[in-house]
Amino acid sequence: MGALGHFLEREGIATTGISLVREHTEKVRPPRALWVTFELGRPLGRPDDASFQRRVVKAALDLLAHTDGPLIADYPEHVTEEADFTGWACPISLAPTQVDSLGGEIDRLATWHDRAVAARGRTTVGVSGLDMPSAGALVDGALAGNLPPAQSLKEAIDDLKAYYLEAASAFPDAGTDRMRKEWFWSETRLGEVLLALQPKLAASDDPQHKILGNLTLIPAVERHRLAKR
Amino acid sequence: MVKRLDDLPEVEANHLRRVECPTYDDTPLLGGKPLAERRVAIISTAGLHRRGDRPFRPGDGSYRVIQAETPARELVMSHISVNFDRTGFQQDSNVVFPIDRLRELAADGAVGSMASVHYSFMGAFPPDAAKPHAQHLAGLLKADKVDAALLVPV
Repeated sequence: MGALGHFLEREGIATTGISLVREHTEKVRPPRALWVTFELGRPLGRPDDASFQRRVVKAALDLLAHTDGPLIADYPEHVTEEADFTGWACPISLAPTQVDSLGGEIDRLATWHDRAVAARGRTTVGVSGLDMPSAGALVDGALAGNLPPAQSLKEAIDDLKAYYLEAASAFPDAGTDRMRKEWFWSETRLGEVLLALQPKLAASDDPQHKILGNLTLIPAVERHRLAKR
Repeated sequence: MVKRLDDLPEVEANHLRRVECPTYDDTPLLGGKPLAERRVAIISTAGLHRRGDRPFRPGDGSYRVIQAETPARELVMSHISVNFDRTGFQQDSNVVFPIDRLRELAADGAVGSMASVHYSFMGAFPPDAAKPHAQHLAGLLKADKVDAALLVPV
């Protein structure tokens, strides 16, 4: 991100930006950066909080007035984590023992995904161009040993993950984002399938499969689950 | 709350410590007009694009074009990394790509105007792969009379 600041400023476009990892920004030394303490993936801090987001954008843009730098300004507002409801359990029984196939699980979530789309007015599913049953079939086929090109598999998996997490947001007692991610990795058949797929991809002769298996399939914070298998 | 890397879970901190960062001998800083007279574009590195545009791939240093009037329901994310939250974006695209906030700031006069076109890279790019694209991008921004860019990571 900071590299773009160097490139564009040199080409005559003044730049300012948000920094999520202060240590990276301190190394790259872009012209101007507003360091925020928000979760990675949420550079504006809080979804559905326009006034909060507007304050962050304004604070970053106000740094344009500075020509003394490189400048890193610390943003004073923080986001407190959502309350953790101890004992929360997904009210919709989707545990792998409850459905006999990935396709069945995908089908069971369809109603909830429809509700999520109705509530939010949008979905972020749609990178792969596949419908969800077809994406599930591609992943099932990969687990059975028929590995498709890494890019196709990655796009299908990203769409499925978005579909699952969007659907879960519409559950009657949906819990927090953190709880729904825990649910995805510990309770869904898809989470189980992805963990089972990882060693197959890592062992492939195709370097793109290896990248997918080793880096871009299982989040770093979830990789401990691989060791427990 | 993310503070410094030392405050993060060890596995996440180690992942971020391994990210290679380019270094530069000096940092250019341009002066310019007050914010209320500037025309601002958003440049995201979240791997955003319109549904149907080419998804990003590993090593891809190019950008995708997002017209200012693009509805939020058209935006998808094909960043290759799995090490950041996507549920915020699923809930509200502005938490990643704050175009509605920029529009509001332009409407109330705090910002001069909003660019007619915005852009997204996919942040896991090697800087050398992005440099020619960024230089080309500077020309496109100037053609849209943009004189300031808001860089938003993910």
